[in-house]
Amino acid sequence: SILAWMGLEISTMAIIPLMTQQHHPRAEEAATKYFLTQATAAAMILFASLTNAWLTGEWNISQISHPLSVTLTILALALKIGLAPMHFWLPEVLQGLNLTTGLILSTWQKLAPFALIYQIAPNTNQTLLITLGIMSALIGGWGGLNQTQLRKILAYSSIAHLGWMIIILHFLPNLTLLNLTLYILMTSTMFLSFKLSMATKVNSLATTWSKTPPLAALTMLSLLSLGGLPPLTGFMPKWLILQELTKQNLPITATIMAMTALLSLFFYLR
Amino acid sequence: MTPTHFSFTSAFILGLMGLAFHRTHLLSTLLCLEGMMLSLFIALSLWSLQLNVIPFSTTPMILLAFSACEASTGLALLVATARTHGTDHLQSLNLLQC
Repeated sequence: SILAWMGLEISTMAIIPLMTQQHHPRAEEAATKYFLTQATAAAMILFASLTNAWLTGEWNISQISHPLSVTLTILALALKIGLAPMHFWLPEVLQGLNLTTGLILSTWQKLAPFALIYQIAPNTNQTLLITLGIMSALIGGWGGLNQTQLRKILAYSSIAHLGWMIIILHFLPNLTLLNLTLYILMTSTMFLSFKLSMATKVNSLATTWSKTPPLAALTMLSLLSLGGLPPLTGFMPKWLILQELTKQNLPITATIMAMTALLSLFFYLR
Repeated sequence: MTPTHFSFTSAFILGLMGLAFHRTHLLSTLLCLEGMMLSLFIALSLWSLQLNVIPFSTTPMILLAFSACEASTGLALLVATARTHGTDHLQSLNLLQC
């Protein structure tokens, strides 16, 4: 797991110059906050592996067996990708960046921690994952309600989506990967369409009807897909996840997740 | 838990608390990050000494190299922050609030 740590560090350090390219005070503040959180999370991952090595003698990250180490690794990885309750850095950091860098941050930077999460999936603590997932979906839904800045809306939507992804990890890790792929596609669409219409607030989205009507229609469609309505692709992972949850006799969890999807849908539709 | 394990665990946790609850200066955050890396370095060296395996003996050096890179990145960000904000006090890092 030294290689895992090195990979995470390299990805963090590679993104930092991209973030500070703008020479704007907000960009630097975002870069500083991002760097601090990611460095802490990476150090915690290494510490969890070391603790596991001292206590059980196992160094490989896919065979962590001590429950404290597994919990710590999950918490550190959740800090890295921005799951609640460790999500506080994500809206501010995403706000301070321009749209392209924010796109890279939301999509590419999630791949590496998810590779690690997928590898430690069999050993995880079910209660912790479900708690993290429900909290993320709730906070993603509620936090996005009062936002007018587009980047913060996208940040809260990514928190909610990550909550969905994490909740199914213990039962069916392949669904997590499917959800991640679709989320990356949809978020890239959103970021790129916002970049094309050069909109950063909800109010400036209203002017896209006069500039490029096809783009406005496309934005609406992809927003609905993010929300997870039936005829669009975004519904598929949510449906599969709910199905899997009910198979495992967790109907209350499934209901809560469906309710929070309604919350996100509300602020998408504005 | 052996005394060695306890000592570096407590060193790491102390550094983590210092990083999480930093109050006035950004520099103290970077210092705590370095302290955490140092405790991890000591732990890794002692572990490879205990196992007496040769392939693992180079990993402390690799960890040291990477933590040096990370510290320099943090310092560069600190310098950039000081250039635009004027100081590294944490109260000035509030441009991005809702």
